[in-house]
This record gives sequence, C-alpha cells and structure tokens, in this order.
Amino acid sequence: MLRALSRGTLPARALPVRARRRRRVVLAAIVLAGVLLIVVLVTSLAGSGNSGVSTVGGNASTVVYQAGHRPLAPEFTGTTLTGSKLSFSSYRGKVVVLNFWGSWCVPCREEAPILAAVAGKYQPSGVSFLGVDVRDTTASALAFTHSFHVAYPSVIDQSSAITLDFTAKVPIAGTPTTLVVDRTGHIAGAVFGTVTYPGLTAIVAKVTAEGG
Amino acid sequence: MTDVRAPETDPFDPAAEPDDHPRPGPSSPGAAFGPADWLKWGWRQLTSMRIALILLFLLALASVPGSMLPQQGSNPSGVQQYYTSHPDLAPWLDRLGLFNVFAAPWFAAIYLLLFASLVGCVVPRTFRLAGSARTLPPRAPRHLARLPRSAEYTTALPPQEAVEVAARVLSGRGFRLRRPDDADSSQDWVSAEKGYLREAGNLLFHLALLGVLVSVALGGLFGYKADRLLVQGQSFADTVSALDEWHPGRFVTAADLGPFTMTLNRFDASYIASGEQRGQPSSFDARVTYTEHPGGPARTFDLDVNRPLSVDGAKVYLIGHGYAPEFTVTDARGHVVYKQPTPFVAGASGNFLSEGVVKVPDAQPEQLGFTGVFVPTAVNVGGTLESVFPAADNPAVSLIAYAGNLGMDSGAPQSVYELDTSAMHRLTASPQVLQPGQSLKLPDGRGTVTFTGYVPWVSLAITHDPGQLPALICGIASLGGLLLSFMIRRRRVFVRARSGPSAQNGTTVQVGGLARTDAGGGFEAEFAGLAAELRSAHEQAAQIPPVQPPQQQAAEPRHEGE
Amino acid sequence: MPVNVALGHVSNAFLIAALVIYSLSVVAFAGDFAFGRPRRAAAAAHGQRARDRAAALASVGAASAASAAGAAGDQAPATASAEPADDAGTMPELEVPALRAIREAGRWVVAAVVFAMIGAAAHTTAVITRGLAVHRAPWGNMYEFITALTCVAVIFFLFAMIRYRVWTLGVFVMGAVVVTLGLADTLIYTAPGDLVPALQSYWLDIHVTAMTLATGIFFVPAVLGFVYLWVDRYTRRVAAGQAAPGNGIVRRLPTIEQLDRLTYRTIVFGFPVWTFGVIAGAIWADQAWGRYWGWDPVETWAFITWVLYAAFLHARATAGWRGRRAHYVQLLGFASLIFNILVVQVFIAGMHSYSGVS
Repeated sequence: MLRALSRGTLPARALPVRARRRRRVVLAAIVLAGVLLIVVLVTSLAGSGNSGVSTVGGNASTVVYQAGHRPLAPEFTGTTLTGSKLSFSSYRGKVVVLNFWGSWCVPCREEAPILAAVAGKYQPSGVSFLGVDVRDTTASALAFTHSFHVAYPSVIDQSSAITLDFTAKVPIAGTPTTLVVDRTGHIAGAVFGTVTYPGLTAIVAKVTAEGG
Repeated sequence: MTDVRAPETDPFDPAAEPDDHPRPGPSSPGAAFGPADWLKWGWRQLTSMRIALILLFLLALASVPGSMLPQQGSNPSGVQQYYTSHPDLAPWLDRLGLFNVFAAPWFAAIYLLLFASLVGCVVPRTFRLAGSARTLPPRAPRHLARLPRSAEYTTALPPQEAVEVAARVLSGRGFRLRRPDDADSSQDWVSAEKGYLREAGNLLFHLALLGVLVSVALGGLFGYKADRLLVQGQSFADTVSALDEWHPGRFVTAADLGPFTMTLNRFDASYIASGEQRGQPSSFDARVTYTEHPGGPARTFDLDVNRPLSVDGAKVYLIGHGYAPEFTVTDARGHVVYKQPTPFVAGASGNFLSEGVVKVPDAQPEQLGFTGVFVPTAVNVGGTLESVFPAADNPAVSLIAYAGNLGMDSGAPQSVYELDTSAMHRLTASPQVLQPGQSLKLPDGRGTVTFTGYVPWVSLAITHDPGQLPALICGIASLGGLLLSFMIRRRRVFVRARSGPSAQNGTTVQVGGLARTDAGGGFEAEFAGLAAELRSAHEQAAQIPPVQPPQQQAAEPRHEGE
Repeated sequence: MPVNVALGHVSNAFLIAALVIYSLSVVAFAGDFAFGRPRRAAAAAHGQRARDRAAALASVGAASAASAAGAAGDQAPATASAEPADDAGTMPELEVPALRAIREAGRWVVAAVVFAMIGAAAHTTAVITRGLAVHRAPWGNMYEFITALTCVAVIFFLFAMIRYRVWTLGVFVMGAVVVTLGLADTLIYTAPGDLVPALQSYWLDIHVTAMTLATGIFFVPAVLGFVYLWVDRYTRRVAAGQAAPGNGIVRRLPTIEQLDRLTYRTIVFGFPVWTFGVIAGAIWADQAWGRYWGWDPVETWAFITWVLYAAFLHARATAGWRGRRAHYVQLLGFASLIFNILVVQVFIAGMHSYSGVS
C-alpha cells in the first residue's frame, strides 16, 4: 500500500533515495497522527449522557436550593396504600420529606432503614414524611412497609404521573429520590439516589430551622 | 463517472485550460522539502482517488465484524452469551471494540478520514464548477470530420446565415454557445456545450452524503431512545424513572421528554390456526389511550407494528409482545404479599414458551422467589411441558419455589427477569405445574402461590431523532445527484459553414460532436437528432427565397421517412 | 385473505416450464459457439465497415435518426476522451435494426433468443401468478425473492444483449439463471403463504421491490465480470506466449473493452436502484423499528454492498485500478450481496429474519 501511496506527484528523480524513504515514513506518521487526532476528538465528543435502567443507586448526588431559587413543588392528589384519599396541598405549612420508592427497587430497600430512622427522629418535631410508591402494586408495597416498619403514608403512583410532574421541576432520574419541601411548598433540597443519615438529617434540620 | 483528479484536457480542444491544481513542490525553488510541503503533499494524498478507494475498502471491511459478532447496542444478551461461550477470546474482542464496532473510535476514524477526503475533493471542484459557469465552450476545431460524430450537408444559405440559424437551433436546445470574436481567423462557426449539470449532480451526491453524516450526528447528539414494557391495563408517564431503558444523546436531558401518559387498554394477537404456516402471527393490535400532557384530552390510537404513534415530538413504536401470568402469593402469616401480573419473556423454542421470575422480597419469615415457565398452549410430551401454539388456548405455568435471601436489600440493582438463587434454598423438589386458578402450597407452612390468570404485555420504543428528516432529505438529494451524474453527458457540438467548392453548390455545413463521457450511451441518437434538426432548420430558412438549387431537390426525399 | 392454492400450483408449473425453456436457450447459445456462423466480434471489423459507410453517406448528406448516425464515424481515435473505451465506438450498436441483426447472427442465435423470450414470458407469468395467489407482491420470502430477481435479470439481460448485439454472452448469463433457479426451486421452495405482521406494510412493495430489481440488475454484470476475467486472463496468457491465440470461443466473445463497458453500464443502471432500495429500507425500518439505521446485520451488509459498488465506480476512475482489479471489486460487491441473502438473513439473528427458511 505504501508503494502505491508513494507513487505521488513528486517526480522521483527530484528526490534522492533516502529522501524517498523518509517521505514514506513521514506519510505514515501523518496518517497515524490524523487517526489518533480523530480518535481523541471522537471519544471526547461522542458518547451518550446518562443511560441505564431507572433505579439510581451507588453514588447519590445531593442538591440544596437556596431560598429564592427553590422550585415550587407541584400539587397532586392520590390514593394511599391503605385506600384513603390524600392531597399534597394539605401539607402546606409543614416541612415535608417526600420519598419516591418502589418495593422492587434494591437501593430503596437499602435506604429504607435510614429513612425510618430519620422519620423517627423528626416526625415528633412536626416534619411530615410522605412516600410516593412508583410502578408498584399495593400488595407488594404494603408488605414492604410492614417489613421496614414504615410509619408514614405513601401515595400510589403506578404510572409515574406524579413523578412526571415533579420531574418538570427537579431532574428525577429514577428511584430512590428524596425531596425536602419547605413550609411554603418549595423544594429546598433533593437527594438523587440513596440517602445517608447525616446527609438527609442535615437538610431536614436546615429547612426546619427556617422560619415558617 | 468522471475521474475526480484527471485534468480536464481535451485533445480536440485547442483552448482547453490545463489542470490548475498546484503541485506541492518545494516552497522556494532549489530548497529542500519543508514541512509545509509535506503537509501539502499529505493533504494531496488524502484527497486522492487512491486513498478514497482504500478507505472505502477499509469501511466495508470494518463493517464485517459488526455484523458477525453480537453488538452491545442491539443485542446485549448476545454479548453476554459470547462471554460465557468464549471466555478467553471475549475480553480481547472487547478491548478492540469489536462488541460495539459502529461506535468504536477506529471505525469513526475511517469514515471521518473518508469524509475529509471527500470534502477536500468536492469543495475545490464546487468552486471550479461555479467558476466554469461563466466560461465559454472551446473554439470549434478545424476538422470536424475527425470528431467521433460528424455529419455534413449543403444548404443554400450563405455561411454567416447558416451559422446564425444553427446557433439559434442549438441555443433553443439549451446549449451554451461561443461565437467567434474579432480575433479569430475564420468567422463562420459556432461552438456549443451542454451537460454541466452532470458535474453538479456528482457534487450534489457527495455533499448529500456529507449531509447524511451530519444528520446522523445531529440525531446522536440531540435525540434519544427509550424502551418500556407495558402490561395490559397499566399506564406509564413519559419520564425517565418510568422507562426501562433510557439512552439520551449527548445534549439531551430528562426535561426533553414529552409529558405524555399512555395506557395499554388491550392487546390482541391472532395467529394462523391451520395449514403450513400454523403458528405464524397474522396480526397484532394494541389499543392505547394517551394524553399529550397531564390534564389534556384523552385520545385513543391503534398501535401496530408498522404504525407508530407520534406524540410530543417523539414516536412510540410497538416492538414486541408476550404474556404476563398473574400470581398471588400469601406468606406464612396469611398476608397477601404479592398480587400482580408478571411479564415472562418468550425464549427461542418458539410458540411463546416464556420464562420469568417472581420475587417476593417482603414475605415473612423468609423472602420467596420462584422461577417459572409459562406455556400458552400446553401439551405434555413425555413428561415435559411443551407449547404447541402461540395463542393462550391451554395456559399452564410450571414453578420452582425458593426461599432465602434474594439479594435485594443491598447492592447492585437486579434484573427483574433473573433470580439469584445463590443465597436461597429450593423448596420444591421438582417443577410444579399449575393451571389457571390452581395454587401451590409451599412446604413448612410458608404460604401459597396461586396462578390466577394471564394478561398480555407489549414492549414499546419511544424515540426522538431530530436528524431523521434531514437524513431523509439528504438521502433523496444524494439519489437525485446520482441520477443526474449518471444520465447527463457533457457534450459539445460544433458547426462550421463554408462556401462550397463552387458558387452554385451553396454552403457546406459541417456538424461535429463529441461526448466527454458517454456513460449512459445514446449520444449517437442525440447527435443524429440534432443534425437532422439543424438540417431541416437550414432548409426552412433556405425556402424563404423562392429559388432553390437543384441538389436540394434530389436530397429531399431521403428526409421524408423521418 | 386465504391463499389461492390453485394459482400457486399454476405458478409452480410456469416456473418449471421457464426452467426447461431456459435450458433449451442455453443449449442453443452453446450450439452457436460450436456450429454457428463465424462472426468477428472484434470492433475493428465493424469499425472499418462503419468508416466506409460513413464516407459514402456523408457526401449524400443523410442524417436520419439512429441508424445512419451510428455509422457516421463510429471509430474514433482512442484518445477522444479522458476515459478509456467510453466514447470510442467499440460497441457495434445500432447499425442494423435489432430483428435483422438477430437474423443475421444465425439460426442458433435466433433459436436461443426465441427460447429465452418464451422462457422469460413463462417466468414472468410464474411470478405474477404467485403474486395473485398470495394477494401481495411476490417477494416476501427467499424463494419468491430469488424467483423474482432472476426474472429481472433475464429481462434486463435480454434488453442489453439485443441492444448491444452481444449474443455470445447469452450462454453465460442464461446458464447462471438456470442454475440459480434450479437450486432455488429444489432447495428452498416455500409454499405460498401469508406474511408475518411485521411485513404487512406497503413499504414491502417499495423497499423489497427495489432490492429485487437492483439484485436482478447486478446479476448480469456479475456474470459478465467472470467472463471479463476469463477473457482478460486468456489475453494476458497469449501476450505472454503461454497460450495459443485463436481460441475459438474467446475469439467470438466481445472484446475486453466491450465487456468492460457493458459491465460498467449495467452497474451504473443498478447502483441508483440499490441506493433507492437502501433509503426505502431505512424509511420502513424507522416506521417499524423506531430507527432508520441500527446496523442490523442485513442493513450492514447492504451498506457493505453499496460501498463496494461505489468502490468499483471509483476504481474505474483511478489509474492502476481499471480493468481486472475493478472487476474483482465488482464481483466482491456481488458476493457480499449473495452473502447477505443466503447467509446473513438466514443464519445471523437480527430483525430481518423473514426468509421463511428455518
């Protein structure tokens, strides 16, 4: 191939033999450099964003919204696991920890004891805890709440319609996701992934400390 | 197809312009070959036909492994199977990128180099074409009879007039003309050229290919693909957490998903019941209800394999379907801890023999798991349950029960179609077969599992590709350019008129023509038609004065057959 | 709609008839080699006659359409254009009208052409009745596809053969058709039936029709490519003194330039059809599978075929790649096409597995 390539436009007799050989080497170097450059360009520009299944595990990312920059949590109504009607507007005026979960979701099961502990600590001070049970069935969800001693209600969101409304405000990528809503109904903090005890308590404490 | 790099010289064209592409000689005469010259030489090599040819071969060769080996994007389970069956070879293939060939950097390098070569060739030629739009055809050669096509006849018109008539005819046929100017020695000729669109078509084709590449990149960066399996009766909202697979482009965020909600009302599949094609599907129909945004009006649509739904800028496609048997599991305490349809996936054995898994992580005292086989039309063949027809004419389920730790309480997310029994113990010695309505009582009072029925499920693909329409337009443009470049010939026609040997013979008109490239053939026919038209135009013009030389009369009858 | 089994049998009968008649045509073409009237296929002879005729006609001023113009200077100096053999009138076309040319070629050729045409009529009837039997375009599985594409190949070749008067190529192309059809009928025959739902779309008519047409068209230059290589090898061996000149068969075949030009023209005809077929396939894939290009194995091999034929077109314009090497490329392209149909569609799992062959 190089022989074919070197049958280029330069008249052979204009170059001594050594220069011709050097020319081939330089050509190979140029081609290689070109390929490497393209490889670098392609690998840096290409590649998709976040892909994968819809459970968010592993490293969680936490976002805290400063006052004045907090998205307004959308209003929703739903049916709880026990069958009663619930409207989110009834929670206005209270700090709410809103946890999106499913009984099938492994990281949700992993964080369930942590949530139960945080609930145990802050529910007496007036912080409300509410679950949104995503893509689940009542039987499995109730069994989950019994297993993990979940002491707060959850709203059924089988079709993820409630999640859809919230995704318009905060980038919910899967379960588990935990939002902390302040007393004015604005989302003050979000944990995308499993919560940690110190991480979640810090946000809840901060939001609770704000005046009502 | 014209040679991309051949100089456009023509031996019959005394005024032809030489190839003006600069040769990469030394920057200053007598100096050694400097780096700038090397670059010029390298660029010239890249944009040469030879390199383009080699790159085309490389492109074809590089695509071969992408079709023979399972690819991660379209067949991830196949890749896993390859790892299991070729444990030593698979990691090496993976390192070379052979499980994702078309996204591999080396494959991109090949087509990017090819397109660089293409651009480097096409852009200068586009400028040259634009420039040549104003250049005139060459002067008429002296001896038209030497051209590949020529004809000669006499007319009564004086030479100047004959040339005028000829020029009018040729101009009417769309030729670009050149007349003699004052500097020319002989004044009685006209040159005509036609077919510039051929080069334009060639360039359009190559540029349109570039457009396709850009469109594909556009789709890759700004588009997304998503999958969702939906059981009959279920709904889903178009948000990332509700999707089974989510592959956004580089610049796509979750907010770009349209806020529609969709419910699968019912799904029907019918199969051919008899004859040689028994068991083949004959029709699918998925009736869905959807709202384009929360609170919007509900609409219904019949989703079919070749009929996607367009909603919120995305398209929803019906990809596949299957069965989801319904199970109710009560645990040791008598609580119902599981009650839902469970999608089972059809295997390779045909007739929708499907496999699936039931996981009951909140059963007390121990978590329960079941692996199952769903048989739509079950027939017992020598102790094994087989499915003989894809419709659910005689459904049955065969279950193996396990108890222990499902591994769901911590660690990595699991597939809903696979059961990890490494931390579990088997409860049933052999698979238990259940008909709809039957229950299996688990040993040691652990509870029961009841097979209550089945519902169908469909798998949907939700995609958005902003590069789709541009790619289509560029594809059609490339086809148009291809046809233009293949069907149009660049051709030249020359007409010379000179007074005959003697005054009475009138004017001898010589017509000559050549086709630059005769790819489609047929220039002979066109030339013949032109010559005939010129001749009859001359005769018509010559008829205006009443006197006609006798030769024309004798020659006339030959033309009546035309 | 139920399948019309009776019409299906009619279709099979016509196909067998076509096979038999094609075989007779092949025998007749072969007979032309053995016993036919000697014809000098070289362009030189035609060229000289053409020049004489041109001189005679030019002085009288005849310029009627088609026939005379071909005589008015057929043979030009070889340097007429930048490309070899493209404009040099090495094709003995159009001097005499087609029917007279066939008659002049000899009894064997007449018989062969007649058989081939009757066979083509029977073949076309077989394809049409198959379509009527199944109430859809008759290229929904591999058997139907091969039947249809060979029909396209025969009709296309007959046009080209008569147009360019290359009777001696008949034995090769018709022979290849007979072998292909015979194998299809014995090995992969599928009874008429309905299509799977994924194929029940009007895009079947557009995409698969285009692919059938293109494959049928490419069939011809593939056969001609082999002939070219054979003649080329023989010519080189003669030049090197390794073989005796005057091989009766090769002498009757068209010249290298004519073969090259005919192959080029047929590929030029088929390439846009293939391009259109790929585009139509992409549109259909987007409708059915949600993406217009997913590197499905069949898609990939259709792309490889396209690239190889594009390489052939580029090779003809590249010094050092014209002639034999270009034909290797073209044959490689056809091989990739066949590989796509016979191996990839059948054995490699993808979304394209509709061949009807288990």
